[in-house]
Amino acid sequence: MFSLFAPIIAFLFQQTDGGRFGVIWQSTRSPDLSKFLVIGALLFIIGVAGVLTRRNIIVIFMSIELILNAANLNFIAFSRYLQDTGNMNAVAGQVFAVFVIVVAAAEAAIGLGIVIALYRNKETIWVDEIDILKW
Amino acid sequence: MILNGWEAVFFWIFSIAAIFAGLLTVMARNAVHSALFLISSLMAVAALFILLGAEFIAGVQILVYVGGVMVLFLFVIMLVNVGAEEQGLSEISNKPRQVAASLIFCLLLVIGLLFAINTGYQGLQKRDEARLGGTTEQRRAQQQNLATGATGTSRITTDTQQVGNSLYRFASLPFEIASVLLLVAIIGSVMLARTLKQEAAVDDVDPEVLLTKVAQEADRAETLQEPT
Repeated sequence: MFSLFAPIIAFLFQQTDGGRFGVIWQSTRSPDLSKFLVIGALLFIIGVAGVLTRRNIIVIFMSIELILNAANLNFIAFSRYLQDTGNMNAVAGQVFAVFVIVVAAAEAAIGLGIVIALYRNKETIWVDEIDILKW
Repeated sequence: MILNGWEAVFFWIFSIAAIFAGLLTVMARNAVHSALFLISSLMAVAALFILLGAEFIAGVQILVYVGGVMVLFLFVIMLVNVGAEEQGLSEISNKPRQVAASLIFCLLLVIGLLFAINTGYQGLQKRDEARLGGTTEQRRAQQQNLATGATGTSRITTDTQQVGNSLYRFASLPFEIASVLLLVAIIGSVMLARTLKQEAAVDDVDPEVLLTKVAQEADRAETLQEPT
């Protein structure tokens, strides 16, 4: 397994000299906190786009799960960063992530209960057809 | 915090997988496909958690999200799916103008967030430069000191122990409040999802009384709607 990929890995991870490209290559080879924050931000924005554009209320709920997951990723990344800077109470980020997961589970249960009740009464799951509060 | 060698390779694999699966979650035409792509996105993020040294949260993520919440989502999709979306009979997104506006908003959000992360992280790095020095080697040395598992190849981390200690010491009150929140969620979803018949059975109401009440409600709703 390793021998198969070894030349590719060696090519990807060879030492490069300086310059702008070299700096980018260096940060690609050894990702740090900012890379995790960028991934979290991208996941968050994908979730926001899903909430804003989709019509299916269940897919909107799934996008909300994606948003909460991106927040979790940021919590864990900062927890690791604080651990590495020698902060004593660095596990707090992981503890908070547990609470985020709890709230996400509760939100999914309540939201899907509402969806079921709504489907029984209105026979639709498109959010643009559920407009009885709009005058 | 710097990942090296294989860790970096796996970081890129799983982060690209997470983002692509997230994009497909939002873009899939069929809601069931959407749910399955969301599951793969959550799994990839769990792998990123493991890379960050948070094994407990990764396990919780897979057990609670993938094993619990997503199964709930799939059940509800099966219950309410109308099937018009995947046959192309119905639009999957809002009106084009709304979609365009929200995509422009998301683009601005991307630019703003990337700019903020870039500048903010440079400042953070400047502040913590001294303390971040030899942490990778220190961490590796700490990991070498951990006890080996039963197989003799892996090491047992104390991560879960630390999280548990913190959860029951510093965060014990929020922990209890979270249990109350879950209880409320259970009762609330049962209340919301029950039918009129189940409601009558639980509240011990005579079904005929209930039916006349429902008819009265419907009449009143009609008379309210008529003038407009």
